[in-house]
Amino acid sequence: MRAKWLWMTWLAGLAAACGQGHAIFDVDVYSFLKGTGDDSIAYFVPPAVTDSASSTPRRIDLPGAGSSIVDSVLVNGKVNFENQAGTGTIGLQLYIDSTAAGTLNSSALALTVPDANVSGNVPTPDTIIGRLSSNVLSLLARTQIWVRFQAKGSNSGAVLLQGSAVLKALRLTVVMNDKFF
Amino acid sequence: MRTSVIGIGLVALTVGAAAHAAGQGLIFDARRIGMGGLTLGRSASLVRYNPAYRAVPEAADRRGRPRVTIPIPLGIIQFLHDHPHLSTDPAFHRDSAGFNPILVANTLLNLPIYLEVKKAPTPTNDVLFRIGKNELRVNLGAAAQLVPEDQFGFGGSSRVLDPGLAIKGVRVSVLGWLHYDLGMQLGDTLLAFLRDSVPAKDSTGYSVLGSGIAEGGFAPTISYSGRIAGDSSTGLYLGGALHYYLGVAYLRSNVTAGFRTDSVIFGGSNPATPFDSGLTSYSKPGNAFGHGVGGDVGIAWISGPIELGIGVNDIGATLTWSDTRQDSVFYRDSSFSKPVANHVSTTTKLPVSYIANVTYTVGKTTLGADVLNTGRGATVHVGGEQRIGLIAVRGGVARDQRKRIEFGFGGGVRLGALGLDMGFWTHTNSLSNERGVTMATSFSIY
Repeated sequence: MRAKWLWMTWLAGLAAACGQGHAIFDVDVYSFLKGTGDDSIAYFVPPAVTDSASSTPRRIDLPGAGSSIVDSVLVNGKVNFENQAGTGTIGLQLYIDSTAAGTLNSSALALTVPDANVSGNVPTPDTIIGRLSSNVLSLLARTQIWVRFQAKGSNSGAVLLQGSAVLKALRLTVVMNDKFF
Repeated sequence: MRTSVIGIGLVALTVGAAAHAAGQGLIFDARRIGMGGLTLGRSASLVRYNPAYRAVPEAADRRGRPRVTIPIPLGIIQFLHDHPHLSTDPAFHRDSAGFNPILVANTLLNLPIYLEVKKAPTPTNDVLFRIGKNELRVNLGAAAQLVPEDQFGFGGSSRVLDPGLAIKGVRVSVLGWLHYDLGMQLGDTLLAFLRDSVPAKDSTGYSVLGSGIAEGGFAPTISYSGRIAGDSSTGLYLGGALHYYLGVAYLRSNVTAGFRTDSVIFGGSNPATPFDSGLTSYSKPGNAFGHGVGGDVGIAWISGPIELGIGVNDIGATLTWSDTRQDSVFYRDSSFSKPVANHVSTTTKLPVSYIANVTYTVGKTTLGADVLNTGRGATVHVGGEQRIGLIAVRGGVARDQRKRIEFGFGGGVRLGALGLDMGFWTHTNSLSNERGVTMATSFSIY
C-alpha cells in the first residue's frame, strides 16, 4: 500500500511540473498482449450466420492517476484479418473493465472497429482508429484494467468463414486533467 | 483547467527554488530592493557578519539611513483581494477539485509581502508518459528545464539574541545559534529520466541523494571591537570574537531514497519498489552538550568618502558531540530504523560565512557593493543611490545563489523626517526559469 502511494507520489510530482497542462498517457496496449496468444482471435462462422469469437481477458497494469479526470482516450492500431477460407465481413470490438469478468458485459464495450470484407486465403489489413466510449474513460485512471477483444463476423458465402484476427499494434492516448490525490 | 497534483517532484522543484529564494534573503526595506539588495549603512548584515562594525559609529554613516523602516505590504492586500476566503479557497485545499499546487508553491516561494507586478510564467506544457509492458518514458517538455542538474538546497547559520555587557569595546555575551542545511541531488539515472526523457530501464534504481543537518545551542562569547587608528571620520576598526559553542541538540541525516523498477516494468502489479537507506545521527536535548571553539574576525576602514569592510564568521567552529546515537534507516515494505551505535562521539562543523563590502559617497551620490556568503554560495550586490533635493533615485544589480543576475531600481521622496520609498526587483524565486518583478514600498522615519 505504501509502495503504491510512493509510486503515485512520484508520478504526481512529475505531472506537477506541467503546471496547467495535461498529463497524457501513451499506453502501448499491444506490448501487453504480444506473445501471450491474446493478440490473435480465431474465428469460425458457418454459412449464413453471424457469430463472434473472443480472446481471454488480459490484465494491463498502468501507473494509475488517482482521481484524475480522463478527458478523452484516442485509440489507434492495426489489425490483420488473416482469412483462411470463406467470404464475409469481420469486425473487432474492444471491451474494457476493471475486472476480467466485467469485460464480458456489454456495458464494457469501449470501441467497435467497423467490419472489413474478407474473402479466400487473403490477409486483410485494417486500421483501428477512434475514441473510447465515454462510459469506460474513468477506468484509464486506475492502476489496472482488463481488456478483451471480440471478433464479430458474418458469413455471406456458402463455405465456412474461418481465419484469425491478429492484432499488430494498439495504442491508447489518454488525455487527463491530472488530479493524483 | 484544474491542476491538482502534489508530490516529490513538486517538492524537489520547490526546495530547489526555495534555496534561491533563501539566498536572496527576505528584505523589508524598499530602499534595499531598489538597489538590488545592496546593504548600505549599519544594516543587520554588516554587524552580524563583521564584528568590527560594532565599533563604527552611526555618525560615520552619512547615507541618510532612516531610523525606522516600515514596509507597506501591498502584496498582502493584493493576495487577500485575490483570495478573500483563504480558509475555503479551493486553490489552497488539497481535497478540492480546484487545488492548485503551483499557486501554493509560488506563494510560499514569494511570500506576498510586496506587490508582484510581473509574475514569472510557469511552464504550462503537457507532460507525456509513454507506457508499455516494459516501457516507461516521461517527457516533461519545457518544464524539464526546472529539474535541477546540480545539488540544490538551502542552509546557513543564524544567531538569535546576543545579550551581554560591553566595557571599552570588550563585550561578554551569550549568543544563541542555529545551523541548518538541506541538500538534495538527483541520481544520474533519475536526472536523465526526468530531464533528458531517457526511457526507464527495468531492474534499475532511480534515486535522490539527500543530506540534512540541524543543530542549535548557545555560545558564551568574548569579543572586542574598536577603532585602532584614526578618528571618527577616518579610521581603522577591528573586531573579533571568540565563541565557546555549546550544542544543545543536533540531527544529521544522509539518505538515498528512490524506487527500483520491476524486472518487467509493468509486468506485475508493482511497477516500482520504493527504497531508502541512510544513516541518521542525533543528540537530543538533555544529552551531553556538544563542545567547540570558533571565532569571528572583521575589519572596517572608513576614509572620507570610502568605506571598506571584511568580516568572517565561525572560523574553525567544529563541535564534538560526545553522546550521539546513530541509526540506520531503510525501507523494506515499510520504513525501519535500526540502532547502529549509541553514546559515540561525532563532530559537526558550522559553515564559515563572510561578507565584504565597499561604499563610496561623494556629494549626494552613494555607490556600493557587497559579497555575502552564508555557507551556500555567494550573493553579490552592486548598487547606488542619487539624492536630488527631496527625491532619491536608486538602482542596482545582484547575482543570486543561482548565479542569475537580478536587477533593482527605484526611488523615494523625503519630506522632513518622513520618507516614502519604492523599489522594483527582479527575481527567479518562482517555479519558473523566467524572472518576475516585485514592487516594494516602505515608509522611512529619519
